[in-house]
Amino acid sequence: MFFVKTLEHRIDLHPSFFSASAPDFIREKLYQDVEGTNTGTFMIIAVLQIDDISEPKIAPGTGFAQYNVGYRAMVWRPFRGEVVDGKVTNVVNNGFFADVGGLAVFVSKTMLPPTMKHNAEGSTPSWSEADGMIIEKDSQVRLRIKGIRGELGQMYAIGSIREDYLGYLNL
Amino acid sequence: MRLNTPESLLYPITVTKLLHQPGDDIEQNAPLFTYEYKSTVTEWDPDSREDVERIKSFYADFESELEGNITSYNVRKGQVLQGRTNVAEIEEACKHEIQFGGICANCGKDMTTVQYNSTAKNTDRATVNTVHGHTQLLVSQAEASRADEEAKRRLLDTKKLSLVVDLDQTIIHATVEPTVGEWQNDPSNPNYDAVKDVRKFQLIDEGPVAKGCWYYIKLRPGLQRFLELVSECYELHIYTMGTRAYAENIVKIIDPDRKFFGQRILSRDESGSMTAKNLKRLFPVDTKMVVIIDDRGDVWQWSPNLIKVSPYDFFVGIGDINSSFLPKRPELEAKPSKPANTDHAATADSPDTSSQDASPKVAATAPAATTTNGDVSAVDRLVSMAGNQDEGSMKEKIDEQDEQITEQLENRPLLQKQKFLDAAEEEARASPAVEAAAELLANNGSETEQEVLPHPKYRQNLLQDDDTELGYLGQNLSNIHQVYFDEYQKAKAGAKGGRVAELRPGHGKKRSVDEFEHIPDAAVLMASMKARVLQGVNLVFSGVVPLGVDIHSHDIAIWAKSFGATVSENISKRTSHVIASPERRTAKVRQAAKRGGRISIVTQGWLFACFTQWRKLPEGPYRIHSDAPINGSARLPDSFEGKDEGQLSSSDEEAALTEDETDPGTKTPNGLSIATDVEDLEKLMPSMDRADSSPTEQEEPDYWADINDELDAFMGSDADDDSDAESVKSDSTAGLKTPPSARKRKRDAESEQGEEVNEEASDSQLQKRKKEALSRASSLTQMVVPSSNGSTPAAAPTDPGGGGGEEDEGDDDLEAMLAAEMERESDDEAGTAA
Repeated sequence: MFFVKTLEHRIDLHPSFFSASAPDFIREKLYQDVEGTNTGTFMIIAVLQIDDISEPKIAPGTGFAQYNVGYRAMVWRPFRGEVVDGKVTNVVNNGFFADVGGLAVFVSKTMLPPTMKHNAEGSTPSWSEADGMIIEKDSQVRLRIKGIRGELGQMYAIGSIREDYLGYLNL
Repeated sequence: MRLNTPESLLYPITVTKLLHQPGDDIEQNAPLFTYEYKSTVTEWDPDSREDVERIKSFYADFESELEGNITSYNVRKGQVLQGRTNVAEIEEACKHEIQFGGICANCGKDMTTVQYNSTAKNTDRATVNTVHGHTQLLVSQAEASRADEEAKRRLLDTKKLSLVVDLDQTIIHATVEPTVGEWQNDPSNPNYDAVKDVRKFQLIDEGPVAKGCWYYIKLRPGLQRFLELVSECYELHIYTMGTRAYAENIVKIIDPDRKFFGQRILSRDESGSMTAKNLKRLFPVDTKMVVIIDDRGDVWQWSPNLIKVSPYDFFVGIGDINSSFLPKRPELEAKPSKPANTDHAATADSPDTSSQDASPKVAATAPAATTTNGDVSAVDRLVSMAGNQDEGSMKEKIDEQDEQITEQLENRPLLQKQKFLDAAEEEARASPAVEAAAELLANNGSETEQEVLPHPKYRQNLLQDDDTELGYLGQNLSNIHQVYFDEYQKAKAGAKGGRVAELRPGHGKKRSVDEFEHIPDAAVLMASMKARVLQGVNLVFSGVVPLGVDIHSHDIAIWAKSFGATVSENISKRTSHVIASPERRTAKVRQAAKRGGRISIVTQGWLFACFTQWRKLPEGPYRIHSDAPINGSARLPDSFEGKDEGQLSSSDEEAALTEDETDPGTKTPNGLSIATDVEDLEKLMPSMDRADSSPTEQEEPDYWADINDELDAFMGSDADDDSDAESVKSDSTAGLKTPPSARKRKRDAESEQGEEVNEEASDSQLQKRKKEALSRASSLTQMVVPSSNGSTPAAAPTDPGGGGGEEDEGDDDLEAMLAAEMERESDDEAGTAA
């Protein structure tokens, strides 16, 4: 789910950037530092607005200036039970992997409809069903997130397509 | 799953009440039964007004760390438990057998959380990594076996085996040298023909240095046919030490439709180890149906499933660009190979080589990290093997790789080498005498070289496209496949007799398991196929393996042994082949030659050709030093006639080395250093002692005579040769206080050098001619038959020990006697031969 969230980020500025254009550097650096990062619970999609840049403090012993930047950002946080769309990246014999934005989701074979069969022959391994639904690399799938675990900078999730209206998406 | 009481309880404990019935569901951390335990406590006794220790009873709940259905209680009320006991069986709803990134893939629970009373980590339930492209997906052993069984059934149904393929230097050769790109765009370049089909790609996000640099990929000749042939009987997997992005790009080139490899690519990002390849990573349960092809045996710990192929070295001197993580290649480079080109560039060069010497040195430093042969010390290897664990050295290694790539980008070793070759060419044209040599080189060169020769620019090419390995490899692999499935059919037929029993009711399930027990082991079959190749061959290496390296642990010996050959250190009655280098006639070679035709003296080329083709080849074209041992009549080695063999051509060319070799101070073959530390020599002593003492009585005089011979020759030449390097060397050796034992060893090493000098001078008429043409005054040729009396005074001043005067006098007498005897002997032999 997408949210707009107020966040804070500390930026250390090297003395060589101390000038009238320091705020520009700060802005630039903020975009570089935070956009696209993953905190372990959510992903920062984009910085919407910079609310305030604090007065700098000189860090003792280094000469770097520390700015606290408050900003509002669009974040994406996946929840357990949420239904999301993703793209299959790899098909293996005990399930398949899909990317949902920056989130790697694994769908285990126990989470696939029991009628689906794994085919390892041929150039691309796939999961297929008698009615022609084939999940292979680069297929679009809709899945329900069953579990999420976050580490700093990385999130893992388990998905399921063992429900009605989930699975292969014909877009 | 069994639920046990932990060790940490205060035993003995008495079960007082069971809180559940078998068949009940129980939650995690819910009490399973209550128990009573006794403990001593310190209490205030109001009567005696002091602290007293009393034993008291306490009651506690035993909580289940597992969640699920209780299938059975293994304790009853009133039972006293004395220690760790199995108290119940609990059937779990989810066994967490497949885990992805620390979550159970079946129930979605976080596996990394640890409860206060859990005794085992949930993450330990799934530890096996089976998937090619991911490290985060782990499965349990049971799950892995199931998957393995499935895969095996699939392979048996399609009559295929698994083949693990290495990329670098096995089926392709990669470089980042920008010169290749330039050559590709320049049809007039002598290397144009060779590089015109080199493919390239750009990697954007590789390291800080290599960012966006172009990779040039040369496919091993016949690769497409090889893949097509092999994919019919094998399921192909890639296992490379390159990065994921690198591997993907290579696959785009060699298999654009992904019909051979599919998604079965394992790169160093997922390998789990930066220094070793492990078959268990891909086949955690069973490797019976797996064959590996790789150019390095050490990274696989010489796995029995491995077919070691000769490294493909197209871009001369580049080596494996992805091997900076691996322990340094300890082997002597296979075919005394293409780097030889540069060597004879140096050879054909006139005396002003010294001024140009600097440039090849610079060029050599770049690939040094990857391609240094032989002279990697054991310590180095240990360090590079052990050091890989901690972060720091990891980073160091990555830096090292970056550095290496930068160096390749900046120094352009290929360009330098070609320049050098061109310079040699100039030289050749300038002086008509050297032209003779160049002509010879050209004749020895490969087909491509000959084609290029008529070119008006008359330039030699550095790169040669003459590799035949894959043709034979394909053949061998299909042979293995055939043998395997023949064996399988046989085993299956054999097992049928026993199937009557299995077909009885109740055995239905077991049959499928048995089916897999009967499948043959590819490793065993390969071993027996290989062992037949060189059966009965007893090898002695001479002048091939650097001194101080244990021959039995050297790659080439391990490789030879895997083909059924026996390797010994010294010539004996059983010896059938001596593997020698063509340009050095060592004591062992002489010794072997004396035995007449019984022992074949061949180049390494013979051995490698046998390894490649998996059959014992006729030694004929590979024979060297086949003339009578002593008389030293100059003629061309036989092997010059056999130049149509790809491997051989370069070794022949190496035989043409002269000028460089005659100056042992500047060039030391095989990295053998003359001015070695005394400690080093002492370290080497024991083994050499043994080597000295082991020959039979009869052989001993010959042996010493040889040595003295060589020493005399060397000393004589030394006295004549007044090059700077030489004098510096003798100064330094004279300064060394060598212990008596070490001195002998040292002299041996020196005499080998000296002998080489002698050898070179007398061996080939051509070289003599060349030398004369260069009008390089040398009296070496006069020293062919040394007179012991004349040369000893010359020897005395350079005697490294400096303290053994009396001993030397004794030696002189002995020497004279031995020399005389030896001459007589050789005359005899010549007589019998005639």
